[in-house]
Amino acid sequence: MSNLDAWILWYLDSPWRVIGAAVALLVFLLLVVYRDDWFFYARLMLKSLRRNLVRTALTSIATFVLVLVVTMVWTVLYVLDRVTAEKSQDLKAIVTERWQIPSQMPFSYAQPLSEGAAKETNDVRPSDSMTWTFVGGTLDPAKRTRENIVFFFAMDPAKLMRAERDERGNLIRTKTGKIVFNTMMDDLDQLSDSEIDLLDQACREMEKDRRKVVIGKERLAQMNKKVGERFTLHCINYPFIELEMEIIGEFPDGRYNQSALMHRDYILDAMDAWKRKNGRPHPMAEKCLNLVWLRVPDREAFRRVAEQIEESPDFKSPAVKCETASSGIAAFLDAYRDLLWGMRYLLVPAILVTMSLVIANAISISVRERRTEMAVLKVLGYRPGQVLILVLGEALLLGVAAGLASAAASILFINTYLGGIKFPIAFFPAFFIPLDALWWGPALGALTAFVGSILPAWSARQVKVAEVFSKIS
Amino acid sequence: MIPRPIVQIEGLHKSFSRGSEKIDVLIDLTLDVPEGEFLALMGPSGSGKTTLLNLIAGLDSPTSGTLIVGDQEISRMSETQLARWRTRHVGFVFQFYHLLPVLTAYENVELPLLLLPLSAAERKRQVLTALDLVGLSNRLSHRPGQLSGGQQQRVGIARAIVTDPTLIVADEPTGDLDSKSAEEILDLLVELKKGLNKTILMVTHDPRAAARAERVLHLEKGRLVRETSLYDLHPGGLNGDAVTSSPRRMEDVVREQP
Ligand SMILES: Nc1ncnc2c1ncn2[C@@H]1O[C@H](COP(=O)(O)OP(=O)(O)OP(=O)(O)O)[C@@H](O)[C@H]1O
Ligand SMILES: [Mg+2]
Repeated sequence: MSNLDAWILWYLDSPWRVIGAAVALLVFLLLVVYRDDWFFYARLMLKSLRRNLVRTALTSIATFVLVLVVTMVWTVLYVLDRVTAEKSQDLKAIVTERWQIPSQMPFSYAQPLSEGAAKETNDVRPSDSMTWTFVGGTLDPAKRTRENIVFFFAMDPAKLMRAERDERGNLIRTKTGKIVFNTMMDDLDQLSDSEIDLLDQACREMEKDRRKVVIGKERLAQMNKKVGERFTLHCINYPFIELEMEIIGEFPDGRYNQSALMHRDYILDAMDAWKRKNGRPHPMAEKCLNLVWLRVPDREAFRRVAEQIEESPDFKSPAVKCETASSGIAAFLDAYRDLLWGMRYLLVPAILVTMSLVIANAISISVRERRTEMAVLKVLGYRPGQVLILVLGEALLLGVAAGLASAAASILFINTYLGGIKFPIAFFPAFFIPLDALWWGPALGALTAFVGSILPAWSARQVKVAEVFSKIS
Repeated sequence: MIPRPIVQIEGLHKSFSRGSEKIDVLIDLTLDVPEGEFLALMGPSGSGKTTLLNLIAGLDSPTSGTLIVGDQEISRMSETQLARWRTRHVGFVFQFYHLLPVLTAYENVELPLLLLPLSAAERKRQVLTALDLVGLSNRLSHRPGQLSGGQQQRVGIARAIVTDPTLIVADEPTGDLDSKSAEEILDLLVELKKGLNKTILMVTHDPRAAARAERVLHLEKGRLVRETSLYDLHPGGLNGDAVTSSPRRMEDVVREQP
């Protein structure tokens, strides 16, 4: 019940959604009130489309393919836009080495950076934090193939997922039945209850036994390993270090399908052990903190934390920088700026124009073939506007149907079968087509059908009956 | 008692301009058609028969003159007004039937009814009545391609009468049919006239078809040149020569009318 309330409140949040719902309701009411007429019109349109099946099929396929391409391009742009969009509340900041890529900071930075370099009582402290250490290794040092190489995020498992439990280990829920949990990772706040439960159990296991790791489904499949199996990781960027590992779980399906995660203390301890054995520090000992994530409540807090960190004398060698996660990613994506610009402003419009032309061509041929029929309808008393609607409706029907089919098929096929669009940009393993595509697709189909058919429909509207039926000698 | 004229035409003029050239197709035409009359229109090709029919059916507007159908002056209506008016007042029968090939006989007849505020049940009743009247109750779900020419023309007639119009207008309705089918179509038109007292205007080149009408008008170069009435037709027999052998000047007829 309260779920519904929350949903309604969320829904009413955006005026666009409210307007959209009102329009949908209006269309629905019109459909119901005039249902007999609409049925007839729709039937007439369908039958006209069925008349030349080859042409209808070719036009539909063209629309289908083009909507598919636009959907894929938009998916990439949509995801990138979303991650680079500056949030004003509850934002994440990234601290990295200022002058060097990849960023390699000493681990002694971890503790003070997590506090936002706060010293005085009225300094701002981040509300949460997380450290990342990248550990790459191979299962077989003799054979460094793609299947054998795994990259781990070494971090504190509690920052991946921590759900609150009572003494008997049961999940604690709020009055409204929601599980109480915390995560610093992106896109993990939409998980189902059972996914949260499993991931939390896995993280608690990792705390008890540092050898345990969590790996994404696809990565596991490529490694040809299953949950429960053990292996030895021969580290590549941490020379001389070998880590025994046991796969304890998988990430929930989605963004982390290619990821792998281990306990950060495991790699730190391994370097300590190496130092004890060899009498000197491990070569990576002062370089094993790659990234620190901070969560801050708002932009003002971010500004102050960034200032505290960048002005602190404690982080001068190496120097660090603190930026919002979105601007960090945006700066990173800057390298792809021309490509993304071309996709957004050249490729997509070019496809839309092509689609409109294909539809315009098909519809104008069929209007030319049916001039006499249009004239007959007019003789029967159909008004010019109604003839226009019939032609326009035919095109819209085709466009919307092909667009919807295309969006649904791409979601089913690309997301579930192919595991997302493998577009090699930034650190995104794959782009998943958002459910929003279910309205992009039909909207694109409708838009191009409208643009493509408006001229032929107008010429059908203008058909002069007397001219069609008089034999001009 | 003389029935009230359902079509009143006075000083009707229609010209088309082709480039700089202006062609007068109908010249100063005056004509009354009483309600319930079956009138045939004959004349050589290009004499303006179709043009006249189109004007009466509200498919085109005259260059000048008055044109009253029912009690409405239709020469002054806009295209949209004419469209609305046509739905209720005119049923059109074409030489080449012009049924929509994708629709069944039933759906073709239903087409004009969709423009009227009728319930689905009323619509169905009217479609079935019209198809029954033309004797096609057993061909409801056939498409035009599955019907003979004569049957298609009967669907065309059902479509023309389904809205119960004031006037039925037919442009060479038997022009594309063999003589047997043509006879059947003419029988049907006569029946509509007798049974439903419909006013029918038919253009034809076929003297035998014209002979079924009560009155025949002859059009030449845009002018009504003579008319033959039922009384003239019968004594002369049924062949075409007889029809044209007793000419009466149009002006005389007009003068005779009260
Ligand atoms: N829309 C038009 N534009 C220009 N001229 C036209 C138009 N419609 C008809 N005409 C001309 O008007 C004249 C009469 O044409 P109409 O179709 O009325 O003849 P008709 O008597 O029906 O001939 P037919 O027996 O061959 O059907 C012809 O010379 C024709 O070329
Ligand atoms: Mg003609």
